[in-house]
Amino acid sequence: MPRQCEICHEARAVLKRPKTGQRICQACFFRVFETEVHNTITSSQLFRPGDRVGIGASGGKDSTVLAYVMKLLNERYNYGLSLFLLSVDEGISGYRDDSLETVKRNKEQYGLPLMIVSYEQLYGWSMDSIVEAVGRKNNCTFCGVFRRQALDRGALLLDLDHIVTGHNADDLAETILMNIFRGDIPRLTRCTSIATKGDGYIVRSKPFKYAYEKEIVMYAYLRRLDYFSTECTYSPNAYRGYARVFLKDLEALRPSTILDIIHTGERLQVAGDVVLPEASVCEKCGYISSNRVCKACVLLEGLERGLPKMGIGRVTAAAASAGEDEAERQSIRPRKPVEQVHFAELAERAARMRSERRACETSSCAGTGCAGPQQCAGTACTESQCTAAAQTTTHHDPLGK
Amino acid sequence: MCDVDTPEHKQPLDTRLERKRVPGKCIKCKTAKPNVTIRGCLYCKPCFVSASIVKFRGALKKSNSRIDAQRRQQNGVSEPQRLMVALSGGPSSTAMLHLVVDYQQSVTQRSGDFVQPPYADIVVGHIDESALFDVAEGAVRSIADGRTFCEASLEDIFSASADRDVLLQIVRASMASEQQQQNGGGFCAQIIRNSDNNTPPRERLRQLFSALDSDTSRESLLDAIRTFLLVRLARAHHCSVLLLGDSATRIATRVVSLTSCGRGFSLPFEIAPESSWFDGVTMIRPMRDFIAKEVAFFNRWAGYTSVVVPTFTTGAPVHASIDRLSETFVVGLDRDFASTVSTVCRTVQKLEPRADALAACPCIVCGMPAEPDAQDWRSRLTVGQAAAPALSSAGFDISSHLCYSCQNILHFSESGDRGGLVLPGFCVERIRDHAVSRPSASSDAEQHEALRRQVEQFFLNSDDEDDDCE
Repeated sequence: MPRQCEICHEARAVLKRPKTGQRICQACFFRVFETEVHNTITSSQLFRPGDRVGIGASGGKDSTVLAYVMKLLNERYNYGLSLFLLSVDEGISGYRDDSLETVKRNKEQYGLPLMIVSYEQLYGWSMDSIVEAVGRKNNCTFCGVFRRQALDRGALLLDLDHIVTGHNADDLAETILMNIFRGDIPRLTRCTSIATKGDGYIVRSKPFKYAYEKEIVMYAYLRRLDYFSTECTYSPNAYRGYARVFLKDLEALRPSTILDIIHTGERLQVAGDVVLPEASVCEKCGYISSNRVCKACVLLEGLERGLPKMGIGRVTAAAASAGEDEAERQSIRPRKPVEQVHFAELAERAARMRSERRACETSSCAGTGCAGPQQCAGTACTESQCTAAAQTTTHHDPLGK
Repeated sequence: MCDVDTPEHKQPLDTRLERKRVPGKCIKCKTAKPNVTIRGCLYCKPCFVSASIVKFRGALKKSNSRIDAQRRQQNGVSEPQRLMVALSGGPSSTAMLHLVVDYQQSVTQRSGDFVQPPYADIVVGHIDESALFDVAEGAVRSIADGRTFCEASLEDIFSASADRDVLLQIVRASMASEQQQQNGGGFCAQIIRNSDNNTPPRERLRQLFSALDSDTSRESLLDAIRTFLLVRLARAHHCSVLLLGDSATRIATRVVSLTSCGRGFSLPFEIAPESSWFDGVTMIRPMRDFIAKEVAFFNRWAGYTSVVVPTFTTGAPVHASIDRLSETFVVGLDRDFASTVSTVCRTVQKLEPRADALAACPCIVCGMPAEPDAQDWRSRLTVGQAAAPALSSAGFDISSHLCYSCQNILHFSESGDRGGLVLPGFCVERIRDHAVSRPSASSDAEQHEALRRQVEQFFLNSDDEDDDCE
């Protein structure tokens, strides 16, 4: 006998919801999944109308579903956001080049502007050439550190207010467990917040914070979304692997565990007398860093000087060069060094772009129509102009397209 | 730290000066052949035993001085307290009992001036779990070695004369009405009436446990009942200090399993070196620096025997419960990444209870603080839809008096066939106590009074029994 959906009691149940174990129909699944993401966004007040939001898109399942759902919710609930796809090209042949093709197709499918920033262009090194230099071990350190900065640089190039990433509940629960196992108190308290302003320039958030990985896959499958599913060709993170296996075991025992771990993580509070590292700014590139020079600059310097172990673990420049053989140092292909743009300059450029765009908006505001003071807040548009213009119904595109 | 009894193994006064290791020899005496490796250090038998004694006393004294300081602040004086040692009979609590007795004796037997003993008296507290598990009779009593032995049984929660048991009805998400959904539903539990008292307590206890869906839930509930009984036992015997034998390995395991069960709000209370969450009883965990391996070797070489304490997952596969899985995982991770256990223990000691946790009302099941917004949080993230209402109007909604984790336990219980789950009377007592003891701000006073009146009916004596039944 076909089973009825436990939510609408009308349609036939086609799936068992991983989060709750309820047997529900496809329409209800879409509805609850989207509503939960919407609830996450509204309850933590992630966006303001008019925000320019970049979606960190890798072409994988999480970011593809994120792009789809963000576009859908933005239209359904009138968030008033301008959405962009923002991709990082690490330069891993056989993996990233293929997944970027998916992102390019997504760009057409969703009609969203796309920007790709590459390691090659930003740092002068692609991941393939880094692996050639450092070997297969530890290369994930380079990739992770560089990606974080690359996204921020891309966001400043587009003058975004906000980046959303496809981190899901499973990722977050793993991170919480890992930080407990490793005793990383600063990260333990930071990792659960939905939005971080860590870099000092752009807010970063994860609207899928409470969405189960399995449900994201289900959603992509049922919506027939076009995504790319291959693991990175370089080695996976070993320590995270432990946490992942453990989390999957826990989830099998009690499906609500993932949500429960996040609940726990959100309720932990570090004692007032524990000293947390202070954030400062890297003196070379202006990126946020807890040290004098940020990790990316240290790693990059190691690469340029032919000391790829520098900055990994507790190896300092002196220690790294001590054991190095001159011949070995030369074996790394010398590259044409790329001048990194300082973050302050990027921010300045972004501010300039913003004021130009606003000037353009204001003039169009007076002429054609503006939804109200909300849309041109902070610009030269006077209140009387706005109220007069609010009579007309036509919205103009804040992008000026 | 230097008052170890055996003079030939006295610790050097300044160990820092003698840190240099002699390869292949015991790290302490540097002469004997080592017998055991602990965290990469080699120890010979006598040095290991004496080092363990020193470590235990160090941890206990540290806790004592912190408690004393607190007490002096409150009362001005600090008298030696009566102490209860919680003894399950397992390796860790057995070692703890012997170590604390030994400490007390070493202080009082010291020749010369009159020395005030650290504790007024040491009594042993044991919870008899024979209602649920097969345990050897009298085995634990023999470990207590003639000390005052106070015992409570698990089924006592149902037979205590003053409290009356209550019938709880659970309404699940798919059954809750539209209105409850909007009020932060998703799950609803309400006390309907007092239960009929014709089942023997032992049977009732078994029914309660068999109604739960998994061994994870059973373990959580057993933990809650055990804690409740221990605290009550300590109060009844006028002990203001309760020693718990959680080893470092156990604490690390608990951190992981409590995290996985969503107990972050109460976590700092549940694993703290010392905790005064329960009124009048301070819990101390003096075995917190011992890993399980150290406990085992200490018992072996000191000649102490312990018993096997059966649990729900004894002999079961790794995937039997979250606690069992966490234990396997922590032990395995500690093997691959040395000192994971101590890292986890040190990490969680840097956590503190949130301000709202200190003021929160206790969960009626586990007695730990219940976060006020647990229902909202859940319903926002597991959206369902309303169907037929199933709540009885006479019932008293307790959803807001349950912590997030205990909501999970009750949510998945099988309460259907007997018309509800019979919870012990202490559940209602907790609501009443909270309403009476903390009539906080004046705006809340009325609310508290209303609350008290609502639960009062469940405490009426037998002559009004008919009234509270529907």
